[in-house]
Amino acid sequence: MKEIKWYFPDNLKEVSALFKKDGVIPHGGGTGILKASMSSVKGLIDLALLPLGFFRVNNGTIEIGAAQTYAEVIENMRKIDPEHILVKALSVSASTPLRNRITVGGSIALFPPWSDLMGPLIALEADISLYGSREGDFNITSYVNDRHLARGNLITGIKINRDRWTGYYYRETRTHFDYPAFTVTILLKKAGKVIEDTRIVIVGCTGRFRRLLELEEYIKGRDAGEVEPGGISEKIKIDFTGKKSLSPGYIRHLVKVRIERGLATVLGN
Amino acid sequence: MEGIFKINGKEIKVSFKSDAVLLSLLRENGCTEVKEGCREGECGSCVVLLDGRLVNSCQVFAASAAGKEITTVRGIGNIHSPHPIQSAFADSGAVQCGFCTPGMVLAAYCLLKKNPDPREDEIIEAIDGNLCRCTGYVKIIEAVKIAAKRMRENG
Repeated sequence: MKEIKWYFPDNLKEVSALFKKDGVIPHGGGTGILKASMSSVKGLIDLALLPLGFFRVNNGTIEIGAAQTYAEVIENMRKIDPEHILVKALSVSASTPLRNRITVGGSIALFPPWSDLMGPLIALEADISLYGSREGDFNITSYVNDRHLARGNLITGIKINRDRWTGYYYRETRTHFDYPAFTVTILLKKAGKVIEDTRIVIVGCTGRFRRLLELEEYIKGRDAGEVEPGGISEKIKIDFTGKKSLSPGYIRHLVKVRIERGLATVLGN
Repeated sequence: MEGIFKINGKEIKVSFKSDAVLLSLLRENGCTEVKEGCREGECGSCVVLLDGRLVNSCQVFAASAAGKEITTVRGIGNIHSPHPIQSAFADSGAVQCGFCTPGMVLAAYCLLKKNPDPREDEIIEAIDGNLCRCTGYVKIIEAVKIAAKRMRENG
């Protein structure tokens, strides 16, 4: 690597000015940067002095600062909802020392195909808070699909509704520490026996992620006892590229099995 | 670049490359108890405590660790005055080649600080970022249980 200039701003205005420099990117925990190519990086903006380590709960909304690590999110979220989908997903991500370092902001900015954060955030319909040329809150799907939003803007945090969902999270790995070939996130909310709402997200497919809206629509409004998970995933059309030891067809088969098992879990059937 | 690093309670002024990782800085400055394994954050042999949190020092830029408290395994005890976890590892035969031991001891130290009476699954979770290719983990888990018991009994 070549000489890199480090910046340690203590306010967001300073960050905005630094973003205008060529090849200067933010540094949260650094784990993603070390895994990526550094050839075009000329400077790193360390975010440690900025007030982005917050975790706030107000008026039914949970706000998580971009500098919160996975370990801190798990710790804080467990206090308000131990069964929350973020607790389930992030607890099985990477390892204890890496969870102490990987930040929410870095994970969203890089969105690697093995991300354990993105599936739950897409399912929760999280908003991403940005500071910079396009300041404001943006739905995560818009953010991920519009790469212009990432340019010249710093992720300062995320906002999610404090709804009570029954959640299921699965990551397909050969060993615990492996990067997942895909992840399945399912959220389901019932009013009595009726399924009020559901969200199903696959990460790792062609196009990085897919929300299974057709399956969600089929399930919504039905009596939970009427939904038979076995065979339900035949309704899904989803594509994968092959991995080292998994063909696209085999991955598709695994995904369908996991969706059916996940639905059985959240339905309590 | 230059920076002041607080390593095991002592402040030292160090020159380092802007892209250096903490692992290299520590080893180049005498902390050879911090082992270099995969350099990818997967084996855990290089873990240290950064402001009390267990991190892979190969996955931390040195520049971002300046001014923070860094604790290596030597900072919690040594051969003349071992920490109860280090004694338990020796007593229960949890050390074979010894390469993973500094990382395992620090992972156990972090766990027992937060949870003095961990269940076996909690011990397994705490050492999920530390690979051992010799012991099969049985003796390591036993050592953590013994250390926890001794630490509870001796306050």
